[in-house]
Order: sequence, then structure tokens, then C-alpha cells
Amino acid sequence: MIAIINNLIQLLVILLLAPMVDGLIKKSKAFSQKRQGAPILQMYYDLFKLIKKDSVVSETASWIFKATPYIVFSTTAAAALLVPVTTLLPAVPFPGDIILLFYLLALGRFFMCISALDTGSTFGGMGSSREAMISSLIEPSILVSIFTIGLIAGSTSIHQMMVTMAAVGNPLFQPVFILTFLAMLIIILAETSRIPVDDPATHLELTMVHEAMLLEYSGKHLALMEYSAAVKQLILITLVANLFLPADQLIPFAGSGGFLLSVALYFLRVVLLSAMIAVAEISTVKFRFFSIPNLAALAFILSFLGFLQYFILGR
Amino acid sequence: MNWFAPDYLLYGSMITYLAAAIAAIIFYKHPHLCTQSAQAGCILASVLGAASAVRLLLSGQEKIILKPFESTIPYVSVSMTMDALSAFFLLILSVLTLCVSIYSIGYTAHYHGKRNVSLFHFLYSTFILSMLLVFTADNAVFFFMAWEIMAVLSYFLVVFESEQEENRQAGLLYIVMTHLGTAFLMIAFMLMFYYTETFDLSASSQHIPETGRNLMFLFFLIGFSTKAGVIPLHIWLPYAHPAAPGNISALMSGIMIKTAVYGLLRFVFLYLGVETPWWGAVILVIGMSSAVFGVLYAFIEQNIKKLLAYSSIENMGIIFIGLGIAFLAFARENHWVGALALTASLLHCFNHSLFKGGLFLGVGSIHYATHTKNMEKLGGLIKRMPVTAVFFLGSALSISALVPFNGFIGEWLTYQSIFASISSGNAALNIAYIVSVAVLALSGALAAACFIKLFGISFLGLPRSDHAAYAKEVPLAMNLGSGILAFLCLLFGLLPLIPLNLLSRVIASITGNGVVGQLQGGFLAAWYPLKISGNNNAVSPLLIFVSILLLAALALAMLRILGGSRRERKYGTWDCGFGSLTPRMQYSGTAFSKPMKIVFKIFFQSSRDLKLQGDHPYHPESMEYTITTESVFEKYIYIPLLVWVTAWSKRVKLMIQTGSVHTYLLYIFVAVLVLMLYNRIG
Repeated sequence: MIAIINNLIQLLVILLLAPMVDGLIKKSKAFSQKRQGAPILQMYYDLFKLIKKDSVVSETASWIFKATPYIVFSTTAAAALLVPVTTLLPAVPFPGDIILLFYLLALGRFFMCISALDTGSTFGGMGSSREAMISSLIEPSILVSIFTIGLIAGSTSIHQMMVTMAAVGNPLFQPVFILTFLAMLIIILAETSRIPVDDPATHLELTMVHEAMLLEYSGKHLALMEYSAAVKQLILITLVANLFLPADQLIPFAGSGGFLLSVALYFLRVVLLSAMIAVAEISTVKFRFFSIPNLAALAFILSFLGFLQYFILGR
Repeated sequence: MNWFAPDYLLYGSMITYLAAAIAAIIFYKHPHLCTQSAQAGCILASVLGAASAVRLLLSGQEKIILKPFESTIPYVSVSMTMDALSAFFLLILSVLTLCVSIYSIGYTAHYHGKRNVSLFHFLYSTFILSMLLVFTADNAVFFFMAWEIMAVLSYFLVVFESEQEENRQAGLLYIVMTHLGTAFLMIAFMLMFYYTETFDLSASSQHIPETGRNLMFLFFLIGFSTKAGVIPLHIWLPYAHPAAPGNISALMSGIMIKTAVYGLLRFVFLYLGVETPWWGAVILVIGMSSAVFGVLYAFIEQNIKKLLAYSSIENMGIIFIGLGIAFLAFARENHWVGALALTASLLHCFNHSLFKGGLFLGVGSIHYATHTKNMEKLGGLIKRMPVTAVFFLGSALSISALVPFNGFIGEWLTYQSIFASISSGNAALNIAYIVSVAVLALSGALAAACFIKLFGISFLGLPRSDHAAYAKEVPLAMNLGSGILAFLCLLFGLLPLIPLNLLSRVIASITGNGVVGQLQGGFLAAWYPLKISGNNNAVSPLLIFVSILLLAALALAMLRILGGSRRERKYGTWDCGFGSLTPRMQYSGTAFSKPMKIVFKIFFQSSRDLKLQGDHPYHPESMEYTITTESVFEKYIYIPLLVWVTAWSKRVKLMIQTGSVHTYLLYIFVAVLVLMLYNRIG
């Protein structure tokens, strides 16, 4: 029972924090551009505004269109259940498997892509087709990266992987982890539809991927879709934060004090990674669509070299 | 006497298949009666077959031997053995046959009065019976006979709608390729007899020297790979599957191509043994190339049945990856990893027969309702065929390896077996293993993209032609057949231990290594997790599914509490203010796969041709846009080969076939003389 409550607390941390991380990234971008920018909590206001609005559903759409926001949200939130915020609590009533995590996110993506085709709109088809391509090309680097970390930890359980990395101490002092970390950063940019892969701020049909799929959504449905995207982003950031920047080994005491400290450290690392993502976004431009394979290839080579460094040269 | 013993059930099953075939002939004047009696026979026979297989697997009996009659031909015995491996494949066959036969009751109704229904049902029942014999034959010659009968009957079924030229051509290609494979198998069996002087499979293969083993492996591999349709021997598959009637494609893709996996296990794994590491490596490489190329060609395909056919090539690739890893692991004496990989591979065989069977039946329903296989003429079917759409979506989710369907379990176990292989591998093999991880990831993601395209373009949006606009829901029997398959996909995805418990007995019996209980998990107490005992990696699909349901309910409740109840308005799709959208403005299947076609253009050899008519380039009167893609394998391997063979045989014909009788008499004389001399000296 305690394990389940611990798990729910961690889920709650991710669910509550997710919109703020989005705000943090936007604020950092605004800061670099000498703008004041929207408040950090803007996304919460937006979501509350949206859920109080009526939704418009296309006449062409079927039940897929209406079910998708709930499926996307529930699969993303279920994925959040698998990713521990802190390794200190024996929180997982079932071992969260990292392959399962990415296949859960893929389930949400599958429905998002078909819902975009459901309305018969050209934009939807465009977004769906592009998303299918980007996600297919980035998938090999994801699996190779998580295999590298998983093999070093001797397990595909996320909790076990995080514990191992905490025991390593400073992973980023070792070449294998630097390479995998860089690959994971590119993966986050691609998976969360950020520059240089996609532009979250634009609604111009030539550039948009993720936004094109959401174009027909409004009201509650849109709120759920936007919220799920933010949760997915925080899941990936949490994963990278706890795998590559582990801090739980620094905490000297156990119990609830230790837990709170761990969450505070977690929060700091999330802020740091959000700032890194913002820096990555402002220091590049959006790639031409057919340059994205190059980026995916770069991510693959980084993750592959990471594997080779550890398992071929390292032994 | 126990009438429910596996051997009686198996006899019963075979007799019932025969009875169904005979019933089909007897009632040839009454199409309805013919369909119903033949398919009812097949349903009963498949239930008996499944019962026999499950009883054998659960009883722990090693094997049963059936000897219906003594054969008078030397070295050939008409005897059948059902051990755990045969039983497992018999189970796959029976489950699929059950659903396909239910479906066929509705599906073949459109043949009534137009075609020879009696012939169709005769071929259908005997085709299934021939596969049953392939799985149980324990004498190489008897196996070979069953194999040939299976090939020929399936050829007749492929060309059943023979009035179309393309179906006849597909059939020709199929029969040529399948006989190419048969030729290699025949050489392998002859080598087997040469070394052991018996065709009996239970005989020992110890005395076969190293060279003989390697040669036999290669011949078996080529022979069986042709049936499996793995790259580069796949070229018949994307033509034959679309040509065959819907229910036959489901059987061919669901189970017939898996006779190759059975053959490789029976003749190579069990008979020859796996001491040589390069065998596994070859299978792994074939598997990887099939997985990637299969799915790439599937993704750019607009013909819905051809898309599924290419997807079968991809899935055979995944099965071969598992086999290759198993062979490598056993060759390196790593039995635990080998057993895990074999489990993954065989489970994927079972899963693939369920979801691909369901998908082919679904596509058969689409064809039944719309009379087209072209995706660009479909659209909006979810509103006209809601039940078909739901079952199709279930199978599509499953083949995309998404939780909580059974496809995910197979994919996860394959990943886990690679994981376990790397943990215990050496440097050179580790590179191959990690490449296969990347290949699996790429093909998995592309398969999902493929089925987003197939489902999204055919079932969603606006109808692109009148065919789709006036489609009607198919009869109940058809939906029942594909519905059971989709339901089984979900059931075995949520409770993966049901098939795995049966499968672990197979693995334990054929690896001779106590691996039973390797995949274990407590019932509901621990949420039924699927666990690998070696490294404690686990997933619990049931728990995830329940969490997803609870979280969706939570989302509904929170939106209601925080947002209050809000209206939902119906309105047109956003058209940028230019007036109403037409179906032509939707994304087409070609457009959907265009980005991938550009990224991987080297494999597609695509060329485009744009014809404009009118004076002004920006305002043409009419426009014609053609895009063609070619398979690299056909263009660079098969067509040059064909050209060369034709040219060569023309030359040889001029040399030796002069047309004069006395030359031919000379040939006969020389042949007899040489044979007599050989006999004298040899």
C-alpha cells in the first residue's frame, strides 16, 4: 500500500510540475531575446481557460477524434507512473520497464497520428505523416541509448538503472555517458517537437508537425492534448535528469526529510535541463524538413559510439 | 479407451477435414449447403486439432506416433509424430483455421452462383489438411510430399480468381519460386539419405561430416526461406498474397509461411543440431534485412493487401532475428539465452498468425464491401463499417507492437533476448546484436507508421470514391471471425502467460534443457507480471492497462469537476476560409509515405513524371502526375537473372534441340550407356 502511495506522490509531482517546465523553457527563451515573456505559470492559466470552453468537433470526425485526447493523456500519465522522480523511496509496486515506457508513449503517438487523419484536413495529414517519419528515424537511437545504460545497469528496469547511475556518481565524467547523454538531448528535442526538429511556437503549415496534428482540437480536448505534451516532455527530462545527473547519492539521510531534499534537488536539475533545452533551441534554427534525417543520424551515431566505447573498447 | 486422448483427437481432426472436403464435392449443386457443411467441418476439425495439441502440451507426454497404414514404398513410411513442437504449430494452425472458417461462411457467399464454390471449399479443406501433415510428418519423404501438396493446393487457391491476368501471373511467379525452394529441399533430403541411408527424422545425424552439415544447412535455409518469403527470396509474396481470396491470404500469411520456421527448427535445429556459430549469424542477417526492407516497401505501398504482404516479410524478419539469436546462443553453449530467444521467436509466430490473420480478414472485408484494394479510393469506412473498423484497429495496434496487445509481448521478449545476448556476448557479436536492436527499433516504428497510414487513410476522413461512400457493413460471420482474432490479440497481450506456459513446455522439450518456469509470475497478486528470471526484467501489461483505464476515468472526472459540463459543437473541418473541403484535398496514402520515400530513395528507385497541358505553366488546363517505384531486388537481381536464363536457354536450345529424331535417339543411347558404365564402375 505504501509503495502505491509513494508511486502516486511521484506521479503527482510530475503531473503538477509539467506545465511549469514548459513555462520555464519559454521564459528562458524570452530572457535570451530580451523579452519579458509570458509568466512561468502561463500554461496553467491557459489550461484552465481551455477546459472551461466548449469544444468544436469536426463533422467528418469519428469516435477516434474524441477518444484520442483521453487515450493520449492516460498513456502519458501511465508512462509517468513508470519514471521515478527519486530513487530513495521503494516506490514501484511493479518494476517500470524502460522499453515499456517508450512503447506506451508510442501508443499515444499512434492515436494522435490517426486522430489527425480523422478530420479529413490536409494539415492533419501533413503533421501525421511528418511525425511518423521523425519518430521512426529517431527510434533506433532511443533503443540503442537505453540499451547501453540498461546493459551497464544489468537491467531494463528504470528504477534499477537510476540506482546504478547514482552509484556511478558523476556519469558525465565517462565518455560512454557523455555520448549517450548528447544522443538523449537530441532525442528529447525530437520527441517534444522542439527546434530544430519542429517549432512549438508557430502555426505556419509549412513548418509545423505537432501543432498541425492538434489543429482541429479545441476546448477540453485541446487542453488534454497540450497537457499530455507537457507531461511527456517532463517524463523525458526526468529520465535524463535521474540517469545522467543523478543526485540521490548526495543525500545523507533517509526518511521524509531525505525525500523532500531529493525532490528539491530533482527540481533544480529539471530547471537546469530546461535551460539547456532552451539554449539548444535559441542557438539553432529550425532545420529544413529533409535535414532532420541528418540530425537523427547524428543521434544514432552518438548513441552507437557510446555503446561501442563501453562494450567493445571498454572490455 | 480414452476417446479424448491426443491421438484420437488428431485422427478425428484429420478425418473431419477430409469429410469437409468430401462434403464440398457432394453438395456441389447447392452452394449454400456446400459452404455451410464444408466450413462447419473445418470449424469442428480445427477445434479437435486445437484440443489435441493443447492436451498433448498439458499432459507432459513426450510425443504421440500415428501410423495409419504401412507403406509399401521402400524407405518411406506414412507415419506421423506429434511432439511438443508439432503440437505448438498445430495449435497456431487450428486457432487460425477456426476464425478463418467462421469468416469464410460469410465471405464465400459472394462466390455463390458466380464461381465453383464446391472446388473452392475442397481446396480450402485439403490445403489445411496438407499443412497439418507438414507439421506432423516424421519421415523426410512423407514431409516432402505433404510440402508439395501444400504448395500446389495453395497455388490453385492463389489463382482461384483466375480471370484476371495479374492473378495468373502472380500464381506463376509463386509456383516457380516455391519450386525453386522445393528443389533445394530435395537436394538437402538426398544429402540426408546419402549420409545416413534413411529418411527417418528420428535417426541420428552424428555421422554426417562437417562439409555435409554445412551444405545441408545452406540447402535447407534456401529452401525454407523461399517459403518464408524473407529477403531476398521474397519476390513471390507481395504478388501471391494480394491475388488470393481474402480468407486464403489470411491462411497463407498467418500459417503457411510459418511452415518454414517449423522446417528450420525440425530439420536444422533438431536434426542437424546447432554447433556452428555462422549458421545463426546468417539467419540473423537475413532476418535483419527482411525486417527493414519489408517494412520500408510496406510503407510506400498503396494496395492494402500488398502492404500487408510486405508487412509479413517484415514480421518473418523479426521471427528470423529471434531464430538467429537462438542459433548463435546455442552454438555458443549459452542455453538460457537461446531458450529465451527461441521463446520470443515462436511467440512471435503465434502472435503474427493472430494479428496478421485478423488484418487480412479485415482487408478482405474492405474488399468485400468496396470492391477495391486501392487505398486512394477508400476513406471514411469507420462510419460505414464501424465493427470492422474496431477489430481492424485492434489488430493494427497489435502488429505495431503497442501495449496492451500481444505484439508488444513478442517484441519485448525479442529485445530481452538480445539484451541477454549482449550481457554474455563477445565483442564482434555485440556489434551485430546492437545493430539488430537498431533494426528492430526502426522496423517497429515504421510498422506503426505503416498501420497509421493503412488505418488512417482507409477508415478515416472522407470517402475518396463512390466505392467507399456506399460501402455497407459485412455479414456477422465475417466480423465474428476477425473479432475473435482481435480479441485473442488483446487477451494474450494482457495475460501473456497463457500462450507462454504452453510455449515453455515446447522450449523445454526441444532444447532438452530445463527452462520451464523461466518465465514466471504469480497470478493477480503481483498483477500477473511477465518476468524473466535471469535478470528480473519484467512487465505487467494488465497493471498498465488498468492504470490507463483509471487515469482516463480520472481525466474525465477532473475535466467535469474543474471545467463543468460543456457543450460539444459539430462544425466543418477548418478549410482556411476557402469553402468546403473535398475528399481530394485530404492527404493521400502516397503523400503520407512521401517523406520516407525521399529519405530512403536509394531503395525505391522512384521516378516521377509530370505532364502539364496548356499555355501557362502556373495555370495548366490539366495535369498528369505519375510516380513509379521499383524494388531494388527485382531490378538488380531477378530481372537480370531472368534475362540471362532466357538468353542462355535460347542458345542451348539451338545447340541441342535440332528437331531430328535420330539425334534424340543418340542422346538416349549415350545416356543409357553412361548410366550402365557408372553402375559398373561405381
